[in-house]
Amino acid sequence: MVLIGESIHIISRRVSDAVKDRNASVIQDLARAQARAGADYIDLNLGPAKKDPVGMTEWLVNVVQEVTDLPLSIDTLNPVAMEAGLRLCKKRPLLNSASGRTDSKAEMLPLAKKYNCDVVISVLTDKGCPPDVDSRTESIMETVSYANELGIPNEDIWVDPIILPVSADQKQVREALEFIKILPDLLPGVKSTVGLSNVSNGTPEELRGILNRTYMVMLGRYGLYSAIADTLDKELVKLNRGEMPHIVDLICKAMDGEPINMSSLSKQEQDYVKTTRVLMGETLYSHAWLEG
Amino acid sequence: MEYKAPLETYTGRVAEVIIGRGEKALKIGGENVLPFHFFEGEIANPPRLALEVLDTVPTNWAEWDLDPYKDVISDPVRWANKALELGADLVCLRLVSTDPAGQNVPGEKAAELVKKVASAIRSPLIVYGSGDENKDIEVLTKVAEVCAGEVLLLGPVVKENYEPISKAALDHGHCIIAQSPLDINLEKELNVKLLKSFPKERIVIDPLSSALGYGMEYSFTIMERTKHIGIMFGDSTMQMPIIADLASECAKTKQAKESEKQGLLWELVTAISLLLAGANIVILRLPQTLKMLKEVIQGTI
Repeated sequence: MVLIGESIHIISRRVSDAVKDRNASVIQDLARAQARAGADYIDLNLGPAKKDPVGMTEWLVNVVQEVTDLPLSIDTLNPVAMEAGLRLCKKRPLLNSASGRTDSKAEMLPLAKKYNCDVVISVLTDKGCPPDVDSRTESIMETVSYANELGIPNEDIWVDPIILPVSADQKQVREALEFIKILPDLLPGVKSTVGLSNVSNGTPEELRGILNRTYMVMLGRYGLYSAIADTLDKELVKLNRGEMPHIVDLICKAMDGEPINMSSLSKQEQDYVKTTRVLMGETLYSHAWLEG
Repeated sequence: MEYKAPLETYTGRVAEVIIGRGEKALKIGGENVLPFHFFEGEIANPPRLALEVLDTVPTNWAEWDLDPYKDVISDPVRWANKALELGADLVCLRLVSTDPAGQNVPGEKAAELVKKVASAIRSPLIVYGSGDENKDIEVLTKVAEVCAGEVLLLGPVVKENYEPISKAALDHGHCIIAQSPLDINLEKELNVKLLKSFPKERIVIDPLSSALGYGMEYSFTIMERTKHIGIMFGDSTMQMPIIADLASECAKTKQAKESEKQGLLWELVTAISLLLAGANIVILRLPQTLKMLKEVIQGTI
């Protein structure tokens, strides 16, 4: 799976201060650390970029490109900031993201064509996030066909099913998984991506990793092409590289509902099984899902 | 061809919680079917109906709510006995005077009163602290100690104070009410944590009960899901009886304050709804509601 490093994110206090003070070393350290850890892309999440969108984006793209050759994912809802970023990218960038929203179709999708880049298209519409597989399908078919008409081929499109936190709406975790499973039949040739860490948003910090990692394996089983993820999580990168095959097997078994003898497993293995069952919606989520 | 109604069988069973000492003992829960599905399995015990008694003269009750208790309102022991005379299965004593924002009565004094009430009535006793999570530690642990052996149902026990209160309840043989703020995930979390040191057969769940028109659907959904998860899906951390503490929530609605008849309807409709959602104990204020609910329950089970 292609990993897009999420750490340069404007919601992070460290990052937002560094951007405000134009402190390049903080940003460059994060870029280098993610590159070393095994990221394939560096995501630059600029948020709404209301103040000085062009200056801020250009600065950020330049300082990151000084220290890494990795391609960038420009992550903002502001089309002015987006264009400023895409224009400067040395490698073919990822526009992150467009959606079925009216403003996004009008302002973002044409940029993907203009700069001939890959583009994330999410299932969001003017009405928000579609609640189930059918409505996600309806939304994405419509938006992708609109993008095709603009001249963007399926091969350049990375579909995002929108991941919601398991602590907020457990059912949605399964819906997004099912959607990824049927995506290749719906839209042959498209790629896919998710904001992986969103699954653990709202979960106590020290417990987020195992939710992210387990869900990555589950989505990967159904063909997920890429994930915007915490590449500084070493176990996540190892799992993604296929260096923990017994954990992957265990997660698949738990997904299939095969009987598993928990007492023969290590604590780590038990935790992955419990987490899979929560993400599959088989056991009710609580912050104490690994206990008891 | 003869019609045969389809029947479900379930894998889980709600724990049977016994409160009250000796002859007073009252069994709560214990069903292995969804609420009122008596045709599919066993409803070991009917829902239990409690009337509330305050440890201090109420200041914000409507005139007509005070009426049935006019002569006993300043004496919790007589009030409790009056509630039983009016048909309650058991009594819920609220230690409102311990609230630090009010009279701030110390735990020791509150505990003495609880003991007096508990030994003077023929039913088991539910005891609710003021809901101040810090003060309740002092009050409820003292009540547990002073009333050792009475097998009270003590609450609310919340995420912030469950350790000391559940320990005191365990040491002195009481049952507890695990309360969470209208959130099924937090409800489960508290149960999981309690179950590490406290037996399932001594826990009752209070998910908070909102009144009709003031969020009752949230309480309904959470109670309903709790039963689904415990009984249909067999999640043992969700197999405890549920208490619907709805009396004061109904009494403080605009409608109940406006007229006696509206207040009665409000409490009745809220209580019937939450019984259908799965409540095993309901706390009421109005003897008339109690009477009508009894008829409803006896006609069904």
